[in-house]
Amino acid sequence: MADDFIKTLKLFFYIQKSHFKTAFLSVGDALSNVVIMLINNLSFIFMWWVIFHNKGSINGWDFSDMLLLNAVMNNAFAIFALFARGIQALPEYIDNGSLDNYLVSPQRPLFMIATSESTFANWGDLLTGLICWILSGYTDLLSFALMIYASLCATAVLISYRLLVSSLAFFAGDTQKLGDNIFMAFITFSSQPASIFTGWYKVMFLSIIPAGFISLIPVMLIKTAALPVFLFLSGAAVLSIVISAAFFRFGLKRYASGNRFGVR
Amino acid sequence: MTDIIKVDRLCKKFRLKKNAAGLKGLFHPEYKTVTAVDRLSFNIKEGERVAFIGPNGAGKSTTIKMLSSILHPTSGTAEVMGLIPWENRRRLAYHIGTVFGQRSQLWYNLPVQDSFGLIGKIYGLDDIEFRRRLSKLVRLFEIRDLLGHPTRSLSLGQRMRCEIVASLIHRPQILFLDEPTIGLDVTAKEIIRNLVKKQALEENTTLLLTSHDTDDMEKVCDRVIIINKGRLIFDDSIHALKESYLNKKYIEVTDDSGAKIKTVVDTKTTPVKKALDELVQKYHITDITVENPPMEEIIKEIYRRD
Ligand SMILES: Nc1ncnc2c1ncn2[C@@H]1O[C@H](COP(=O)(O)OP(=O)(O)OP(=O)(O)O)[C@@H](O)[C@H]1O
Ligand SMILES: [Mg+2]
Repeated sequence: MADDFIKTLKLFFYIQKSHFKTAFLSVGDALSNVVIMLINNLSFIFMWWVIFHNKGSINGWDFSDMLLLNAVMNNAFAIFALFARGIQALPEYIDNGSLDNYLVSPQRPLFMIATSESTFANWGDLLTGLICWILSGYTDLLSFALMIYASLCATAVLISYRLLVSSLAFFAGDTQKLGDNIFMAFITFSSQPASIFTGWYKVMFLSIIPAGFISLIPVMLIKTAALPVFLFLSGAAVLSIVISAAFFRFGLKRYASGNRFGVR
Repeated sequence: MTDIIKVDRLCKKFRLKKNAAGLKGLFHPEYKTVTAVDRLSFNIKEGERVAFIGPNGAGKSTTIKMLSSILHPTSGTAEVMGLIPWENRRRLAYHIGTVFGQRSQLWYNLPVQDSFGLIGKIYGLDDIEFRRRLSKLVRLFEIRDLLGHPTRSLSLGQRMRCEIVASLIHRPQILFLDEPTIGLDVTAKEIIRNLVKKQALEENTTLLLTSHDTDDMEKVCDRVIIINKGRLIFDDSIHALKESYLNKKYIEVTDDSGAKIKTVVDTKTTPVKKALDELVQKYHITDITVENPPMEEIIKEIYRRD
């Protein structure tokens, strides 16, 4: 078991190394893409600074909340885009049959799918996350630990959600667009000041489009360090992994039974 | 010798939604069942090179997908290296190699040797073992000059050689080849055939190869399994296949006007002498050839009879 884990970890690093190598075939492109991503993100944050500067606060949120949100959200998205981007391509793999390559592999199919793609530019997101955290002022050790933990939970929710949405392709034909759009909505929701969602929106925000778990709840955790928030976020992370992994497995069974295709 | 593949009354039915579009399709789906593989049984011994032949839609790819653990059967069972494929996916992976002519297992943008490196790691080979194995395959398949190129820049024939090497790195005892020569020109096909056969002989690899090119089967394999509509219709050596149709002779004569006349003679009902006499009487013959039926015709005849 432990041996298996270490082997998988080694393979993980080897795969990342080859993604690096591919990205660095043109060093200029790779680095400028990272810088462009960073500038893009920071100008977005600057826009929020202007808004908060004029309005003071939005439904009780101030700019430091917004910075913490961006720290966590950028971290989560970066980890997804760098290390699990392949999940986004799952509908394509199903459609063109390259999923079969992962099924005849001695590794877990989901591991192979997730690590099959990586976009180097998203290192810019990780830098953005770091900068936002430093600017937020929550730089004591406890806040740092909470920020890391919240980012990991947020990553779990984000990747799980992407997996859930991608796995729709096991059940219906061409769902790439649909999946991309749902995921896009998720990301857009999570990049707004979370305090604007109230009532039914808030319910949706913490259920069918669970963007709250990569914005509202992580920020609450870092600011309050409260145990109930900690447990709520942890629970959400675990639950989303369990649900999406089960859904993926169910889809894979269906694929293996060849029931996916319909005639036009 | 032991049976390395056992297939026992294997069935695969696909359920297709008939009215896929619109609301009606969503709420009242109507299904129609396609039987892709129908009570198929055969055994393959270690080291055999088997051609798996059949017309389009016969169920060849579906069978290979079940044997290589990609698909679950509807009923029946199979054992590959003593394992039930779809229940032992990851364990079986170490023993089988798969090449699907229509699909690549190499990383599109990576140099070929990096793809090989990744595959070595995926199968958990250590570095020394991996290097030794790869250098042997590189020599055998003559791909040294291709190693530094990304897959996307290879010609189809070059890519196929690399695909086969990729599937052999972990020393599989069984190699499944689904149309490995599809789309290749005559020369490239010939190269692939020779290399596949050479490798199989050298390492006693068991082959199951599908193709629509009868030359692939004649030049690489020693046994042929023919299926049609998912059912087995022929299973014997290539030699026996030819023998059983040797009573047909293809005669082509040219008369003095240059016209070519072709006839097929069934020697069971008409002796060759009688046929030739008739031709000689009818035409002023300037040239004549008598041939055994080409493999293409034999296969066509078998499909027709079924
Ligand atoms: N995933 C699927 N869903 C529905 N029907 C399928 C599926 N895969 C194959 N079939 C059907 O099953 C039958 C057998 O297909 P298969 O691909 O095994 O044939 P084949 O012998 O490989 O043909 P070819 O020589 O054209 O490659 C066909 O009628 C095909 O339409
Ligand atoms: Mg086929």
